[in-house]
Amino acid sequence: MRPYRSRLHRVLRLRSVTDGLARLALRPDERERIAQQLGREPTLVEWYAFDAQWSEHCSYKSSRRHLAKLPTSGPGVILGPGEDSGVLRLGRRQGEEYAIVIAHESHNHPSQVVPFEGAATGIGGIVRDVLCMGAEVIALADPLRFGRAGDPNSHACSVARGAVDGISAYGNAIGVPNLAGDVYFHEGFDENCLVNVVALGLVKEPEIVHSFVPKGAAGWAIVLVGKATDASGFGGASFSSGTLDVADDDSNKGAVQVPDPFLASVLMRASYRVFAMLRERGLVVGYKDLGAGGIMGCSAELCSSGGFGARIELDAVNAALPGLAPEVLAVGETQERLCWALPQEIVADVLRIYNDEFSLPQIARNACAVVIGEVTAEPRYVLYHRGEIVMDVDIDLLTGSIRDDLPVQPCVARPSVDPAIADRRLAAVQSQADLAASLLAHRDVASREPLYRRYDRVVRGATVIPRGVADAGVLAPIPGSPLGVALAVAGNPRYGALDAQRAAELAVVEAVRRVVAVGARPIGLTDCLNFGNPRQPEQYAQFLAAIDGLSAGARALELAFVSGNVSFYNESALGRAVPASAIVACVGACDDLSTLRLPNVGDSGDRLVLVGAHAGALGGSVAAALLGIDEGLPEVDLGAECALHAQVQGIGSCARVVGDGGALATIAQMLFGADERLGVRFTPGLALRTLLAESNGFVVVQPSAEPPAGIVLGTVTGDAVMQFPDESVVAVADLKALWSASLEDIYP
Amino acid sequence: MNRRIAVLVFPGTNSEGETLRLLRDLGADAQLVHWSRPQELAAYGAYVLPGGFAYEDRIRAGAIAAHDHLMDAVIDGCAKGKLVLGICNGAQILLEAGLVPGTAAARRPTAAFTHNAPQPHFICRHVYVKLASAPMRSAITASLDEGALIPAWAAHAQGRLAAGPEHLAELVEGAHVAFVYAHPDGRVDEQAVPNGSALGCAGLVNREGNVLALMPHPERDAWNVNHLQRRVGEALFAPSGGAVLFESFVRAVQRA
Repeated sequence: MRPYRSRLHRVLRLRSVTDGLARLALRPDERERIAQQLGREPTLVEWYAFDAQWSEHCSYKSSRRHLAKLPTSGPGVILGPGEDSGVLRLGRRQGEEYAIVIAHESHNHPSQVVPFEGAATGIGGIVRDVLCMGAEVIALADPLRFGRAGDPNSHACSVARGAVDGISAYGNAIGVPNLAGDVYFHEGFDENCLVNVVALGLVKEPEIVHSFVPKGAAGWAIVLVGKATDASGFGGASFSSGTLDVADDDSNKGAVQVPDPFLASVLMRASYRVFAMLRERGLVVGYKDLGAGGIMGCSAELCSSGGFGARIELDAVNAALPGLAPEVLAVGETQERLCWALPQEIVADVLRIYNDEFSLPQIARNACAVVIGEVTAEPRYVLYHRGEIVMDVDIDLLTGSIRDDLPVQPCVARPSVDPAIADRRLAAVQSQADLAASLLAHRDVASREPLYRRYDRVVRGATVIPRGVADAGVLAPIPGSPLGVALAVAGNPRYGALDAQRAAELAVVEAVRRVVAVGARPIGLTDCLNFGNPRQPEQYAQFLAAIDGLSAGARALELAFVSGNVSFYNESALGRAVPASAIVACVGACDDLSTLRLPNVGDSGDRLVLVGAHAGALGGSVAAALLGIDEGLPEVDLGAECALHAQVQGIGSCARVVGDGGALATIAQMLFGADERLGVRFTPGLALRTLLAESNGFVVVQPSAEPPAGIVLGTVTGDAVMQFPDESVVAVADLKALWSASLEDIYP
Repeated sequence: MNRRIAVLVFPGTNSEGETLRLLRDLGADAQLVHWSRPQELAAYGAYVLPGGFAYEDRIRAGAIAAHDHLMDAVIDGCAKGKLVLGICNGAQILLEAGLVPGTAAARRPTAAFTHNAPQPHFICRHVYVKLASAPMRSAITASLDEGALIPAWAAHAQGRLAAGPEHLAELVEGAHVAFVYAHPDGRVDEQAVPNGSALGCAGLVNREGNVLALMPHPERDAWNVNHLQRRVGEALFAPSGGAVLFESFVRAVQRA
């Protein structure tokens, strides 16, 4: 593992507080409104508190009312968006209702500035979001979008490497397997990477711990647990709510937090012990992760969402160094901290578990669990520092929903393109075998193994289908039970660059198909919306279009979004925004793991059949990028999607989703799993378009005796070569070598 | 005899859950013992050190944990002939504690599992380990077949055996190399070694044969549900594959 501490100097360069208010992200009208509501000039601490709570990051002020369009409830939903994670019904086992906790976030800005720490703390944060729901954390996923990383000296390459190393270092150390994820390399991310993270947890439904203080909690203790508060991550919420400026890199680094997975690992296990104690005593309490806005943001949201106020003594906070300013103690975003609201009678026992049994003070300097205040009946948020009141505001003003109504302009429709041009380009392909070689070596198609082999995918001993083997990863989360959980992610930036709405729709469709392909039943979705500057009407319009796409996709499939995140300001100083990136995760349930569909390519003589609508549009495909084809995105018949799933589930053998690289790449990868024993002879006369188009449905394996369920693409052969419709031929082993090696230069 | 097995939990240990589960599924009387309760260890008859990142691999993987109070009891128990199995980080700790190969004094290591080569990165890869010493060389491997091939997952950044030439020679001469990396068909060559380990070594045993240190994790491929190629109709949670090593360990504990 990388030594974190020696890297501290890189990130501890704190923003000067003396230039104080000038650095606030609050706009003049917002400042005016705050002062007016308070009836006085706010204190410095209050300024920083509102700066964090009213930032886009915490308040969702430009997105909240639009997100309301997404479906968020349904029979499978136990808890929709609103708390630190969503919760989905997994199934019953021996009289117990099991549930899957899921959270999905981005850590884009920090990862662009300090990739290793930024991505690692992304994992840390998402894990705590799931943990604080009373869940055991069972899996991670990491949808990543990097710039052109080919030049090893480029920042894009160091971001692509550093972020993966950070995810690997944190996830491996805490012992949570990486189950799913994807990665794309696209020029649109040269200046703004996307590091999305997803975590899954397992909990029994009655044992869910909520992110709010329950009824009758006035006088309860507020207990801070974890790392000693330091000056790292001061101003993180407002930092991620602004545009990155390269000239600001150094000052931005102060806003990134310092990861400590070692402490996180102990905190998780100690928290599991506390959960067990709460179960034994039948107690309902509040528990919440400290994220944006630090102690202030977490304690205020924990109390206000239960209808209470809070009184916090900043002097009681375990600080890493003396003399920290009250605003740093209050809103600094030091990692590895959580906050409990506990009835007084169990406080001593909880402190004993953290501080003695799990010896937090010996694990990291000044780490501990400590009472820092109490829940109050009066709905005010009051902070004390050295005997003085440094903040005293109406708690609902602080955490209540503020909103920005921003101007929108409709997305510009792309001019229609003459399909004859594409047909001419396709006809000009000299050798389909050579095209296949370019396709499989393309960075968006090539094997992801060089990346994910750095991730522990099997810790906990519950992995059934590890990442990379099939379209989704699968776990057996409950020892002794046949219940399984599947996870997949999707969100194609080549599509996003062309059409935000269709790309979002297709992200839903692809994530769900991936879960269906392994034989699981999709039960719920999460989304992370990564977009540019909402104050640029055309960028804001893309965001709104994406919500429409997500909504249409999810409604057609009768699925809900139970957790999500919006990340704006993914644009460079020159105003170049990332491709519209609505990234979707889909959770699947498997009632009997022995019915899972494991990937295979069948035997010699079997048919490879394409099922699903196949208009053959090449827009946004890898082939289009290689051949210089400009077309619209493929259309998906959402109305037929559920029937397609049923059809695929009904076909007994293997099904693989057609994605990047089209059916050609899908079939090649099916063959790569067959130990170079098998090949394919594509159907003579088959249109090249059919093999290259993406989002076309599934490739299924069918014995030749069965009537084909769709277009017969080819027949499995016993000689390990691929024979194309134009009679060109390539050895499976040669293609596999290209496919395997393509990312090795970035991830040796 | 004392058949109780303690699974040690250091700060940073992360594989205690599946390790405990497998031992219990194999009929063992096993418990977790945390770092804050080292005094409890003496009451156990055998020890298992599971995987993880004890003390976050500071200095070198296992180096700090080797000096933890938990290891006082293990060093003491080892001298009394108690059986000790270390997997991954547990193996690293046993080497750092000098218990394996055990040719010098306790806490005077003569070999280490250290940074992978040629690439120093963490690697997670399915592997096979092959029993390279006679089964009876160690009580822990006594129930295995000669040359047993065991599926496991390598998941480590520091799994390369390194030692000075005289100590490497000692390992060979003393038949300390209990397991080597192998291909699925049992062939042994450099391509099968995921981390550049000297002698292709995956696991080492001490002179007396009561302490075994193995880098890859057989317990992560230890139930039918973990095997991609399982057959329909098999009980999902019947121990299999990598479980054979643990089974052999549990039998040895019950024999002792």
